[in-house]
Order: sequence, then C-alpha cells, then structure tokens
Amino acid sequence: MASILDQDFPDEEEDDFNPAPEIGSDDEADEKPEANDDADDAPPSRNERSRSRPQRDDDDDVKDGETGTDGVVGFGRDEDDEGDEKNADDDEDEEDEEDEDDEEEDDLEGQPSRKRRKKHRRNQFIDAEAEVDEEDEDEPEEDDDLPGEEMHPDDLQELPPGADRDDRKHRELDRQREAQFQMDVEEEAARLKERYGRQSRAAGASSAIVPQRLLLPTPDDPRIFRMKCKPGKEKEVIISLQARINERANSREPVQIFSAFERAKPGSPMSGMLYLEARRTEDVQAACDGITNVFMGTKPLMVPLEEMPDLLKVTKEKQLEPGMYVRIRRGLYQGDLAQLAEVEANGTEVTVRLVPRLDYGLNEDANGPMQDANGQKRKRPVAQRPPPRLFSDTEAKKRHGKYLSKQGGLSGTVWTYQNKEYVEGFLMEQLRLNHLQTEDVNPTLEEVTKFATSSTNDGTENLDLAALAATLKTNTANEFLPGDKVEVFRGEQKGVSGRSIQVYGDVVKVRVDPGNGALSGRTLEAPIRDLRKLFREGDHVKVIGGSKYTDEVGMVVRTKDDRVTLLTDSNQTEITVFSKDLREATDSGGAAADSKFDLFDLVQLDVQTVGCVIKVDRESLRILDQNGSVRTMLPSNISNKIERRNNAVATDRDGNEMKVEDTIKEYSGELKAGRVLSLHRGFVFAQTRERAENAGVWVNRNSNIQVVAAKGGKAASAGMDLTKMNPALKQNGGAMPMPPPQAKGRDRLIGKTVKLRTGPSKGMIGIVKDATADEAKVELHAKNKILTVKKEMLSLTDPKTGKAIPGGIQSLAMGRPPPAGGGGGGRPPSSGGRTPAYAAGGGRTPAWKQDAGARTPAFGGGTAYGGGGMGGQTAYGGGTSYGGATSYGGGGGGGGGGGGGGSVWGGAGGGGGQSTWNPNTATGGRTPAAPPFPNTGARTPAYGGGTAYGGLEAPTPGYAGSAPTPGSGYQDQPTPGGFRAGVYQTPGGYGGYGEGAGPYGAEAETPGGEGPRYD
Amino acid sequence: MFFVKVLEHRIHLHPSFFGAQASDYILDQLYRDREGSNTGTMMIVAIIDVDDISEPKIVPGSGYAEYDVSYRAIVWRPFRGEVVDGLVSSVVNNGFFVDVGGLSVFVSKAMIPPQLKYTVEGATPSFTDGVDQTVERGSQVRLRIKGIRGEMGQMFAIGSIREDYLGPLLQ
Repeated sequence: MASILDQDFPDEEEDDFNPAPEIGSDDEADEKPEANDDADDAPPSRNERSRSRPQRDDDDDVKDGETGTDGVVGFGRDEDDEGDEKNADDDEDEEDEEDEDDEEEDDLEGQPSRKRRKKHRRNQFIDAEAEVDEEDEDEPEEDDDLPGEEMHPDDLQELPPGADRDDRKHRELDRQREAQFQMDVEEEAARLKERYGRQSRAAGASSAIVPQRLLLPTPDDPRIFRMKCKPGKEKEVIISLQARINERANSREPVQIFSAFERAKPGSPMSGMLYLEARRTEDVQAACDGITNVFMGTKPLMVPLEEMPDLLKVTKEKQLEPGMYVRIRRGLYQGDLAQLAEVEANGTEVTVRLVPRLDYGLNEDANGPMQDANGQKRKRPVAQRPPPRLFSDTEAKKRHGKYLSKQGGLSGTVWTYQNKEYVEGFLMEQLRLNHLQTEDVNPTLEEVTKFATSSTNDGTENLDLAALAATLKTNTANEFLPGDKVEVFRGEQKGVSGRSIQVYGDVVKVRVDPGNGALSGRTLEAPIRDLRKLFREGDHVKVIGGSKYTDEVGMVVRTKDDRVTLLTDSNQTEITVFSKDLREATDSGGAAADSKFDLFDLVQLDVQTVGCVIKVDRESLRILDQNGSVRTMLPSNISNKIERRNNAVATDRDGNEMKVEDTIKEYSGELKAGRVLSLHRGFVFAQTRERAENAGVWVNRNSNIQVVAAKGGKAASAGMDLTKMNPALKQNGGAMPMPPPQAKGRDRLIGKTVKLRTGPSKGMIGIVKDATADEAKVELHAKNKILTVKKEMLSLTDPKTGKAIPGGIQSLAMGRPPPAGGGGGGRPPSSGGRTPAYAAGGGRTPAWKQDAGARTPAFGGGTAYGGGGMGGQTAYGGGTSYGGATSYGGGGGGGGGGGGGGSVWGGAGGGGGQSTWNPNTATGGRTPAAPPFPNTGARTPAYGGGTAYGGLEAPTPGYAGSAPTPGSGYQDQPTPGGFRAGVYQTPGGYGGYGEGAGPYGAEAETPGGEGPRYD
Repeated sequence: MFFVKVLEHRIHLHPSFFGAQASDYILDQLYRDREGSNTGTMMIVAIIDVDDISEPKIVPGSGYAEYDVSYRAIVWRPFRGEVVDGLVSSVVNNGFFVDVGGLSVFVSKAMIPPQLKYTVEGATPSFTDGVDQTVERGSQVRLRIKGIRGEMGQMFAIGSIREDYLGPLLQ
C-alpha cells in the first residue's frame, strides 16, 4: 500500500486541487456559457455526467477521500492518470507498475459501469430506476446521489430551452480546465520527482516486494563512518549533533552529514561507537568537532560497504513502558527490582520506583558532626545495606527530622528526605537507562507483590498484570508445550480455553475445548502473549521454574488471573506461583525427585545424632534431629540414610510394644499425637497432619510415649514371617501348622478338669466352664466359685486320679486328644522342647543352693546334660546348669538372683536375663560363649569345671591354663564385681583347688576395685 | 461411588503351608491382604466372594506357590466432582481435613465460603460464621471433591464447600 500511496502522489494532489476549479467553474460557466462550441463532440455520457456533478461534488470529495477517482475526474481523467503513471514510473520495477495497474483497474471497473448505468437511467427513466435499485445495494454511496439525480431530469424539463445546452457548455469548460490541470499535475509530479528523487526511490524501496538485494547500498551511496565517543554518552552525542544540524541548516556551511546513529546498548561491544553517514571524512570531522564526549583523537573509520547493512539491522528492542519492572545495576540498590514510573522522551533517562533501603541515620555516628555544612564530604561509612522497607516518615523524624520535608500536595504522601523524593513510601529516583537492567529481569512474585500490595492502603492486591506480563513475556517462547491447557486472556477470543496442539515461534495453535460456544472443537491460533496456562482447582501440578518452589508438586486450590495457589503434596502448605511456572504433573511424589533423600527419611547426622527429613529442597534438607531442633543441611553433609526397618519394635512407657505406623501419644508435654515414622534407639519420630510445623513431625523419647492404637499387625503381615510359618523354626515345636484354624470351634478345654498351679487358689481342682484364647473360667470343686485364670496357670488333671497330665493343655490347644493316662512316658517328642525349660529351672536350683555344697550343682549339671541329649536347646539348658556348676557362679548366683534373671549368668548380666546364652547380654554371662574371646578353650575348662564337680580332683591345670582368658573378660566387664563375696568364698570352699584358686584370687581383686562402677 | 468389581490378586504361599488347608490359607490371606486396602484409585470395602483360585504354580528359585485369585468386591472410588459427606478430622489455619471413609480430603481456605472465618476458641480451632455454621473437629461436612491424588496404598483429595448446599451438616 505504501507504494501505491506514493505512486498516487500526483493523484492525491489532483484530489486536493479538484474542488477549487470545479466549484469555481460553475461560476465561470455561468458568466460565459458559450465559451466552447466544440462541446458537441463530447460524448453525451460525459456531458450529462458533468452536468450532474456539481450537486454531488462536495459530498463525494469528502466521502471518497483518497480514491478520488469517481465522477469528478471522469473517465478521461482516469486514463490520463494511468498514462501519467506510466510515464512517471518508467524507471520503476515492472512489479510495481503491475500492482498499480491492478489498483487502477479496480477503480476503473467500478467506474464505467456506473457511468453506463447513469446514461441508461437518463434515457429510460422508470425502468432504469428499478434496475438501479439492485445495483445500488452494492454501492451504498450512490444512494446519496439519487435524490439529486432524480431531481435533475425533472428540473431539466422545467428548465428553459437552451439551458440544457448552457449547462453542457459549462461542463465542457470544466472538462477542458480539468485536462489542463492534468497537464499541470503531470508537470508538478515530474518536478517533485526531480526534487525529491531520492525520497521517491527510498519510498519505492520500502515496498515489501522489492528484492532485498536491490536495496543494498552501492558505492555511489554515502558511506558510514564510525567515530568513538565516551561509552554511555552515545545518545547525548547524537542529540547534540542533531541540534548542531538544525542550528547550521541555514548557515553558510551546513553540516554535511546525512544521518547519525548509534547502536549502543549497555555492555554491548557497540557502546562507545557512533556512526555518521556522510560523503567524506572531512564532513564527519566537521560535524563532530567540538561536541563533548566525542573522541576526536580517533580518526573516522569508514565502514566497509558490505558491513553497512549489518550495522542497520533491526534487533527488536524492548520498548520501555511505565509500569515495567527492571533491575538496578549498581549502587546501593544493586540487584533490586524497580518499577518504571516514567520514561523520558529521549529514552536515556527514566524515573523508577524503588523500595528504599534506608537506615534513617541509625548507623551514623551520632556524636560526629555532620560536616556537610563545612563543605567537606563525609566519607560514607561502609555499612551493611539496610533491608528494603517502605519509607516511613515517623522513622525519619526520629533522627533525621531536619532532612525531612513534606512536599505540598493533596495526597500528603510525598516526602523529601535527604534530597530524594518518596512517594507513598517508594523512592522515586531518576536513573540513566544504562544503570538499569531491562532484560532477564525475572521478578519473583514476592518482589512484585511488594510493589503491588503496598500501593493501595486498603490491602487489596492490584498487581499490574499487564506491566508484569510485559516484563515476563520476554522469554516465554518455551513456556508452552503441545498438550498444555491454555486460556486466551485478552484479545477477541478472551476467555476461550483449549489445549495447545502446536507451538511455533510466538504462535500457539489451540484446539478449543468444548463449552466455548461456536468455537468449540475448532482450532485457532493465538499469539503467546495473549495466552496463559490454565489450571483448574484440583489439578495436580508441578512447579517447573521461576521461583524458589521449583519442583514442588501439589494440587491447585485456587486460580486467580495469572496466579495459582497450590497445596503441596510434601507438606500440605499453600504456595502461590505464576501459572507460567506450572505444568500438569503426572508423577506424584514430593519435591526434588532427584534428591537421594525423601521426606520423612531417617538420616544419620553424626555418630550420636539421627534426624528425620522434614523438607526436601532442591539443594538443602531440613532435618528435625532427635533432640527436637531443626537444622538445614546440605545432602552432602549427611553421612547416610538409615533404612527404614518396618519391624523395629520399641516399648512405650507402659511397656507396651510400639511399632512403625502405630498411633501414639505423648504422655506429657503437649500430648502430641501421631503416627510412628521410625524408631531409633529410644527415640520415636512421629508425624501428624494436625501440626503444621516441621511437616507435622515431632520426636520424643519412647519412655514418654503411649501407644494409642497398634496398627493391627498389618505391617508385620506384609512380609511373610517365616518364623511363624515354618514349623522347623518354631520355638514351641511347631505345634500349630496353620495358625488361622486354631480359633475355630469350641475350646476343647471346656469341661475338662484342671488344677490351679499358682495363685491364692493354688492346688485347687475345678472344671473349666468357659475359655478364651488364653483365659479360662474354672468352677472350683471345693468352693462354689468361678475363677477366671490364665490358661498357663492351669494344668490338666485326670478327673479320676487327680494327677496332672503334663502338656495336657497344650495338646488340647493343638487339637489333639489329651493322653488318656498320666505319666511322662508317653510324651510326644515335640513337647520335649519344654523339657529344657524345666531343666533350666533345675539348673537354677544349684545356683541358689550354691553355698550348700557341690553336690547340688552336680545334680543340676546332670540334669542339664541329660537334657542335652534331647536337642540343641536342651544343650543350652545344660549350659545353664553349667553356670550353676561353676564355682565362680557361686556368689554370682546370689547376685544374679537379685537381678531377677532366669539363670546365674543371665542374672548377673542383668540384660534381660531370659537365657544364659543370650548373646546380647553384655556381661560376664557371655564369657564362655562369646566369640571375641580368642581362646574358646574358655568354655572347655568350664565344662571341665563341671566335670570337676563330678570328680573334684583333676582339672586344676585346666583352670590354670584358661584363667587368663576369663580374667581379661572380667576386667572388661563390671559384672564380676558381683563376685566379690562369692568368688572369694567359693575357692575357699573348694580349698582343694590350690593353684586354681590363685589366679582367681588375683582376678577377683581387679573387679573388686572396679566395684563401684558396677554399683 | 460404590461399585462391585471383579479383581484379581496374586498370593504367594510358603511351602510349609502346602497341604489340604492350603486353599483355606489362601482365602484367609486374601481377606487379610485386600479387605480395606487401597489401590490408589479405589478402596476395597469388602470382598463379596471368591470366583476362582487358580492352579498354583511354583515360583522357580523360591519354592513358593503362586496363586491367582479372582474375587468380587465392593469397592469405593471417589470421583472428581462427586459430592460426599465426611467427618472433619482436623482444622488448621489454612483449611481443614475431612475423612471420607478412608479418603482424607483437604478443604483449603480458598474453597471455604468467605463468611466462615478461622477462629480459635480455647484449644479448638474452627471455621465458623458465628451464626449456625461451624466446622470443627468432629463435624459432619458435605463437600465436593475437586481433585484426587492417588498413590499406591493411599489416596488424598482436595475438596470444596464453596457452593450452595455444601458445608457443615446441621445435626
């Protein structure tokens, strides 16, 4: 179009000129009607047409504007016009002309038909009227003509004869004048073309269809010279150059340069460069001479011809607009976000709004005189820069009242403090553009809200979304991916939502969702800047960037404009981010999937300390350690992760079992409740949703915890417990091959005669009336009373003889018929497993009766060995008796009994004492069996000892030989302290040991010395 | 919503259970494993019956027998947009949690009508409008499920009461 306008240049001129002669012509024609006789030659159409003109002339000129080719100029004029074009544009491209012709023809096509129609109408009045109506719909502007046209023929009839001809003459004159004028215009065009030939060429060049190569500079064109100037002052130099050109334009020696420009951007290699278009180097120097900041020392450098186009390549530059966000490059506010408040016309200076960093003189030396008055510059104290806060006049008044003044104004929120202006708490500062960073500003929501919320006092947020978007929309090319849900938020299709199916450049192809009216299901293309991602409540999304929440996953709870609030999966907190930073998440799971630590992992912090991960960030972890303090640590600072042991068991303060997943409650303190996350060495980590802090995790000692509800053993059954399943591993002999059927049916114990083995009613006999899994109701024979007793307190008796049937209850529980008669002979081998227990009991006896003499242990030992014949466990039972048998067990036995242990050694150990051989017992009890002892011979003499009791003579050497070994053991272990009494006595009692006692005596002293430790 | 659904479950049986009662054990195991469990999308409320227990196959290398059991069960599956009733389990300042069966639903402050304000009286936090509507621990609430996230073994949802006819039910 540009070219057409340009080429139509004469045309337009004509248009402008037209009215004057036309209107004037009427008058003239009136004055000399007979001026032209050759009007007869004129075709009637033209004649009549021109006659019809005057009435509608004014209308048309206004209406038709630039086309201007209708009626006024007439057919002939059009042709002329075209010819004119051809002449004028001989040197133009063919394409150009063709384009033009097309345009002209378009005009022509409309034109003749109208004329023809008009002629028609003239001749056959009524018929034509009907025809015209139809055509008029196409050209509504004709409607305006119709009244005039209609009027005209009527008037004609009434006109005096000759008037018709008179009018024709007028028209003829008009036409001639017009032709004359055409010629003038042609001349004028030629003249203009000559004068502004360059512009014309340039205008032609700007046409989109001219190949680029034709526009490249030729050697005939002026050259571009480079001058150097002070970096950052380029624009100023250009402006002063312009001033100089204007100044000298009409002087004797105008500035001989065509143009001057600069391409500097802060930090770009082009800064400090200035380009001038001129013919000669001298012109450039003359132009720049005396302008400040231009380095005249460097000679102008002629830019090579082929590089000239590159110099002028347009890189799309972001237009600075008020409201945009920028960052400050240097100074106190370096890196701070600022909002453009005003952009100076020259584009070099801007006014920005900043959140001020002021200390209001708090860090100044109060006693030091302000020396500004003396003209001496006070050195600025090197202090930490104050945090950004909005300006507060009350704070300023405290110490710096003298620097504070209120500016007149209605709002009363404008202050001047230390020569700087503060509006509504913001610092208004004038800065040079090169002090600002306009690219990659990436304001975070936190920063932006500071500007947004604080600008109104009512607390409503008024984020300038458009301004923000302008800042943010810079690098959003990869914001959208095919498949994203998007929404058009401005423009014609505002509110339309759909899914993007293709993204190319700045355009996104969107398939519109159903429910968008006529557009539903259609595909439309929308520019990226009009789109934003759409999320609905409940969508599961992931933060993909742009904020500190990167990689958080959560569910959307609210969307407002561009901001989406989501509830994170990891710790149920609400965060607000821009929708552009979100993507629909398919994966569940918490933040930072790449971290090797997960939320709620138990980690080892140092040797003593463990902690529970309560927050996983990209680079750090927040950990609640066992002491209840929260630390932030790098993953690299954590020594290792403690694998979760689902079967870990601890006891609560009541001694109840506590497992992972159980619901527990604090016994004191805040009475926090929760679910056990992990158990670790007396510490319980638990989590509850009710508490927000630390992701609901809290920690306490297990002695301060009560189990509220066990999880019902579900966790245990998750993995198959082979010890329960496999008969071979069953402690009680695998009496129950299938646990589940056990509970079925009536308890077989009911109706059986039993004897109470312990308790106040010990020895009484009764009949079981009812039974549960572990309790039975016994109706006593002696009293009319029903007791509820544990089943293990009962023994099955033969109702006739009253003798106990050993193992009877067990066999009943197993679903086997009880043995008919008593007697140990018929024992099932499986129940033989219990024998050692009894044997152990027997084993205990010697321990108690150690003082009585050696015979009892000998007996105990006998039992033990007897038991040893029955199986592995029994052998340990034998061990027990061995414990009893050993002389050093003697006094220890007493101590052990005091410890409540089941056996001598176990008791001495005090570490649970369920079995002599309990390897966990870190006591002397371990001595004979403990692997750390290099000399397993230790056990041998022990047995030897057993033997010794049998024989009481020989094994002394055995003792002597092995003595050092247990000796070292004794030194390590406090337990033998308990031997103080016993050990001394025992050897005494066994006087016959002689040498054997010696080492023991020696040994005994050591633990004796360490006795207090034991106590 | 409740459905009757045919499901399959694979059970591994330890060799020590091989015997006449193996199928009893399988059934028992099935009930124990599946009833009340959560697949991430639905919750198995009850097993109605067992259609079929496949022929067992020995798993090479372990000796376990593998049974495929197909069974019919009543399952409950929450849907987005579904309106459900639940019991408030806890109230925090940015919303409250509702237990809908085994599903825990969070109702965010953004999805609570603005007239319900968070207040703490004594030790019981609640959302109340001061007149007749109060959401506190233990109240019954009708809500619309807005989104569901399922993981293996658990489900989590967010809900809204910011609509007509939703909110605390009057007892």
